[in-house]
Amino acid sequence: MDSDHQSSYKLNKTEKKFLRKQIKARHTLLRHEGIETVSYATQSLVVANGGLGNNVSRNQLVPVLEKCGLVDALLMPPSKPYSFVRYKTAEEAKEAYVTLNGKEIVDDLGQKIILYLNFVEKAQWKELGLQALPPGLMVVEEIISSEDEKILLESVNWTEDIDNHNGQKCLKHRRVKHFGYEFRYENNNVDKDKPLPGGLPDIWDSILEKWLKEGFIKHKPDQLTVNQYEPGHGIPAHIDTHSAFEDEIVSLSLGSEIVMDFKHPDGVTVPVMLPRRSLLVMTGESRYLWTHGITPRKFDTVQASKGHRSGIITSDVGDLTLSKRGIRTSFTFRKVRQTPCNCSYPLVCDSQMKETPPSFPESAREASQLEREYVHRVYEEIAEHFSSTRHTPWPRVVDFLKALPSGSLVADVGCGNGKYLGINKELYMVGCDRSQNLVGICRERHLEALVGDALAVPLRSGSWDACISIAVTHHLSTAERRVAALQELVRLLRPGGMALIYVWAMEQEYKKKKSKYLRENRLRQGKEEEIHSDAAEPGSLGEQVPDAGDQDAPCRVSAVTDVRAGGGSASKVTDAKLPVHTNRTSFRSQDLLVPWHRKGNPGRDEPVGATESRAPGPVFHRYYHVFCAGELEEACRTLSHVRVLQSYYDQGNWCVVLQKV
Amino acid sequence: MKLLTHNLLSLHVRGVGPRGFPLRLQAAEVRINPVEFNPDFVARMIPKVEWAALLEAVDTLHLVEVPKGPIERYEHDEKFLRQMHHVLLEVDVLEGTLQCPESGCLFPISCGIPNMLLSDEETKT
Repeated sequence: MDSDHQSSYKLNKTEKKFLRKQIKARHTLLRHEGIETVSYATQSLVVANGGLGNNVSRNQLVPVLEKCGLVDALLMPPSKPYSFVRYKTAEEAKEAYVTLNGKEIVDDLGQKIILYLNFVEKAQWKELGLQALPPGLMVVEEIISSEDEKILLESVNWTEDIDNHNGQKCLKHRRVKHFGYEFRYENNNVDKDKPLPGGLPDIWDSILEKWLKEGFIKHKPDQLTVNQYEPGHGIPAHIDTHSAFEDEIVSLSLGSEIVMDFKHPDGVTVPVMLPRRSLLVMTGESRYLWTHGITPRKFDTVQASKGHRSGIITSDVGDLTLSKRGIRTSFTFRKVRQTPCNCSYPLVCDSQMKETPPSFPESAREASQLEREYVHRVYEEIAEHFSSTRHTPWPRVVDFLKALPSGSLVADVGCGNGKYLGINKELYMVGCDRSQNLVGICRERHLEALVGDALAVPLRSGSWDACISIAVTHHLSTAERRVAALQELVRLLRPGGMALIYVWAMEQEYKKKKSKYLRENRLRQGKEEEIHSDAAEPGSLGEQVPDAGDQDAPCRVSAVTDVRAGGGSASKVTDAKLPVHTNRTSFRSQDLLVPWHRKGNPGRDEPVGATESRAPGPVFHRYYHVFCAGELEEACRTLSHVRVLQSYYDQGNWCVVLQKV
Repeated sequence: MKLLTHNLLSLHVRGVGPRGFPLRLQAAEVRINPVEFNPDFVARMIPKVEWAALLEAVDTLHLVEVPKGPIERYEHDEKFLRQMHHVLLEVDVLEGTLQCPESGCLFPISCGIPNMLLSDEETKT
């Protein structure tokens, strides 16, 4: 490169060093990022060390690159220490390769960095899927004027604050002040019995009134936390304690914008831009289930074009750049809860997780108690609401009933609200259910039903032409009891009679068919009430969603083995406590408690899954044992005088038709 | 509770004797509900009826006369079928009790609904 002999040694060394670094960059890109570089000239180059991930912004890089030719596109993947540039022609790219390789530039932090360029076949970056805002989340822009912003920021008196950090200037930690109630960081809760004198500062009265009137908030808050974040400050991802605060939590950002990260338990992260003077409103799922946090860093990756709009940071890597953070002061308004939380997200709810969780029963008595508490009592309480969501008979059950000869005697064990009792007028059907209230609803509909237990059905043996047991057996908590219930059905049948049994399946995805449930969940932004409805349970047309790998997951077939073990029911279960299922997420256990969220208007006929936004009601937990593939069939085969005629999967249920021989 | 339903009720609890049928009926309130007559349907019910139990129930209710048993060629006897239709399907017991012949335990009928739940001591699973 250089003709000077004396300095050529040095340059050679430098040259060698440079070459080594270039090769190293090339290898790193390949090994860690899968980026293959090529030795011949193309239009596209990868610019190592020139990425958003190492504090090089688009605004800096573009002028440097444009010196060598016309830049067609510059792709800057977020958080990566490299970017891709595509020139109009390979010639221009070659020019860049020659002149810019080893070029020293200054990054946004003022540090010197050296760029290394290599040719690539194509400037590629995996397109991120379209993301939606967490349900219940809203960002209201420019809710405060610049003048008011100044006044409000000045109104915060930091100096009088009794500093946790002993008067030290807070460099590591953000500064915090509380009003109304003091927030205790030891347990992330408020002391409800010790309100702070003075309440919220007067200066906020008119603003809160305005927000109430304009519908940005629905409730008057009584707690305020002021946080001051300097660049580099953050807050770890968290959910605001359920038992401490009501549903609505709002946060005003003054002084600077920021990017806040929302994370769903399934692993999805959504970065949301909160512009300066905007109000973040978190309700429902975004408040109760998603965590929110601010990464401690000095720059955020934001949209380059059109200024900083609120909402999700674009995944279009051609339009990203870095934004240096300023000092942001957040004013978070909340309303303190006076009662335990009764949300629909029990897994992350401190109120609901506090009550002693029931465990897997180890005896018939425990099983009976568990069912009394978590099946019978619940159905009595929710009967009206439950019935209003159970109005659509399942087609294949209807088919079974309609195929029966005229004049058949049919028993519906676990008839619920009598959905199937009136389907075929040519039959004499009698329903039996454990719930007085549900049987009462049958009666209102002029259907014959009685109150009885599925383990001791009070009907004549060997007299019935057919029996149905739809979504019942899965409420029995031991294998022995489940088999006993099936045995009862067989006892009722006359020889040649048939029984149809439906139970809830653990596997909700069948034959690669993706459940509607998850897709519906993503689309229902803002309508978080629907998410904790019962729509996804047997008795509705919805389906549940499994983990992707569950189809092939080995499944313990409990019915047969446990019965043979002599009535032992808990012997094979490693974890004794029953997990609480979060509605609309995957099943993680065969034995679980499923929440039922009761709506405010019992008795009103609501279509499945559709509700208006309403204050959440109490939550009930129902015990279920969801069945694995083959488990029901196996259980039926252990019964004497029985032949399995059909075994199939229908709308998230395992189903069997058996015949008494 | 219709009398046909009563005729199908039986207690069957494992370990507690075989004879849980028929349940002795005492009625405090009875109503007659008109039901559309379907002769074929009624004819198909006849073979399933336990006559002794039916007669006993009808007797305690002091109801209309009921044939002592299925008559010959009942399928074509409209008078017979209409009688049976009335007794089996139109008589509705709203309030009363059912008694187990084996144990003597009483089970209530209220709002037309029999409650056959056994208490814990009686249940042996």
